[in-house]
Amino acid sequence: MSTISVKSITKNFGTQCAVDHVSFDVYPGEIFGLLGPNGAGKTTSIRIVLDIFEPDSGEVTVFDGPMTEAKKNRIGYLPEERGLYQDIPLEYCLQYLASLKGMDKEVSHKRIDAYLERFDLNQARKKKVKELSKGMQQKAQLISTLVHEPELIIIDEPFTALDPVNTQMVKDILKEQRSKGKTIVMCTHQMHQVEQLCDRLVLINQGKSVLYGSLNEIRKNFTGNVVEVRTHETLPENIPGVTAIRHTNQNGDYMLTVEEGITPQKLLKTLINLDIQLEQFEIASPTLDEIFIKIVTKRDEGNE
Amino acid sequence: MNKTWLIIKHEYLRHVKRKRFIFAVLSMPFFVLLIVGIGMLTAIFSTNNSPIGFVDHSGLFKNPVMPEFEASLPFTKPMQILPYANEEELNAALEAEQIQAYFVINENYFENGSIVLVANEEPDSTVLRDFREFLNLNLLKDFPKDISNRLLEGGTVEVRSTDDGREMSSDNIFAFILPFLAGFLFMIAVQTSGGYLLQAVVEEKENRTMEIILTSSSPNQIMTGKVIGNLSVGLTQLVIWIIVGIIGVVVLQSNFPEVQLAQIDTRFLGLMVLTFLPAFVMIAAMMATLGATATESREAQQIAGLFTLPIVVPFWFFGVLIESPNSPLAIGLSIFPFTAPVSLPLRAAFTTIPAWQIVLTVSLLFVLAAAALWLAGRAFRLGMLRYGKKLSLKELFKKA
Repeated sequence: MSTISVKSITKNFGTQCAVDHVSFDVYPGEIFGLLGPNGAGKTTSIRIVLDIFEPDSGEVTVFDGPMTEAKKNRIGYLPEERGLYQDIPLEYCLQYLASLKGMDKEVSHKRIDAYLERFDLNQARKKKVKELSKGMQQKAQLISTLVHEPELIIIDEPFTALDPVNTQMVKDILKEQRSKGKTIVMCTHQMHQVEQLCDRLVLINQGKSVLYGSLNEIRKNFTGNVVEVRTHETLPENIPGVTAIRHTNQNGDYMLTVEEGITPQKLLKTLINLDIQLEQFEIASPTLDEIFIKIVTKRDEGNE
Repeated sequence: MNKTWLIIKHEYLRHVKRKRFIFAVLSMPFFVLLIVGIGMLTAIFSTNNSPIGFVDHSGLFKNPVMPEFEASLPFTKPMQILPYANEEELNAALEAEQIQAYFVINENYFENGSIVLVANEEPDSTVLRDFREFLNLNLLKDFPKDISNRLLEGGTVEVRSTDDGREMSSDNIFAFILPFLAGFLFMIAVQTSGGYLLQAVVEEKENRTMEIILTSSSPNQIMTGKVIGNLSVGLTQLVIWIIVGIIGVVVLQSNFPEVQLAQIDTRFLGLMVLTFLPAFVMIAAMMATLGATATESREAQQIAGLFTLPIVVPFWFFGVLIESPNSPLAIGLSIFPFTAPVSLPLRAAFTTIPAWQIVLTVSLLFVLAAAALWLAGRAFRLGMLRYGKKLSLKELFKKA
């Protein structure tokens, strides 16, 4: 049973089609990536899922049914347009937002205390929100997303405005939430950030879904016949089973395009037989960015 | 806990707990007190209560009885009237500023009432009244006490209508002042809480908190919470002012028992509540709609004045409402939702309003208030996520 089920949703703003027949399912306990470049329709899709917008056509179910007020308490949402009430103290702001998620006062106080401690915001709790730095506000917002321990966490561009240390912290928190069995939908254009995190993903471009499935499967489908090799020796110009050798940089990195029918194991054997000292031997798996660019350029060629 | 209630509480406490609010609330009575105080001081300093002298050539006032004058203002002495033997003494006393003026009662006063008032500066306005009282009292001193008292005090006229027991004492100024004051306070309260509300709605947009709020509660809960929360701020202000006002009236009455207070007509109060509350909600919800469709608070504030303007209109026709409360204009003003809250209770003070008019006005207000709230919720949902873009009226009524 899927936590979110999106069936062929479409949304137009005037003449502009923001989302065009997008479908995907999010299953319990996974980190699901909703990926795509800026303006692809990610945020609009999320807003439709959250019942902020109504779709022009298509259907969305959350927790096996339409969105209700009660279900909103089971969802934590970190919107792309970040914001907290600027004119009130941080602690009070978080408590108010937690109470709107149906949280009991005592429990929310305890949890907010713990989170403020963990996010290093203890000093700032009595300060007005507008006095906090952007990064601090972002962390505070994350607290309000997680404090009611939602079953479904939806975060839109979680890494903007965060430095590397805080980025890592957010990643750790997301992994921790997944290990607790929470379902996470992560919406971002920074595809390299989610490669280590996502279990499954959908890739949206210009409102259309262009890729959908588990990360491993997608990678496998796009893995070509290229092997990355690093060595301090000079490679011979002709290696049996290799059709092309490309020197990627001066540090001894090479990309070897392998002949059809030759497995990486066979190539490794050949290299060892040639007595080449290998520092690294790796089957090149494309990054999401590369896959995305490949898809998009292929489509454009098809359109022309 | 109900989320609407949480939003009401948040919106209410946010303002009420602030120093700015306390200051705004207290500044009004303080301001009134200051004006009254300054007025009193000016009156006290400008009052000349040095005695007046007189010389009697008619022989009617040989052993005069002095009326018991009361001080016209606090901290002043009551007026004194002193007899003198002749004009020379009076002139000397006037020069020496022992008296502020003197009266010469001529020989044939009894025949033609001839009296001369002599003063170097314009005497205080009470001088003539006080001296006349002195003359009357002395002319009547041989009559029985009760007759002379009745003659001197005159009668108390009470105006009644034949249709019901409503009555109006001619010196009951409160019958006029109360509706006027109530309307005035209503206007201020609408303006203040409307302003708060407008700010509270636009703020969600400026702070970009909408999406969080919308994914925590429904647009209708948010709007209802905001409208009621911010209106309560205005009402709190109003109630505090009314309490201060009542205290002021009680203090006034205990110091000046002659100021007659009307028993406040309970029907007037009832009508006031029935029209003020829905009108309050209606106007506020309209302001909220405006806030949700506008892009920034400054822009919204400018248009907000348009909603408070019609409330003032009945004040322009105050005379008509009082003198001919059953004229078509007066009836129209009391039915039109924007002018009803001031006009209807005002008319009720001067005439008996047919039940159908009251029912029509009040139900119209309640229906419009509900409709305005609904519209506000809709505008919130549609307009709030359009940062920097305006929501047109057409879009507001189209399907989301």
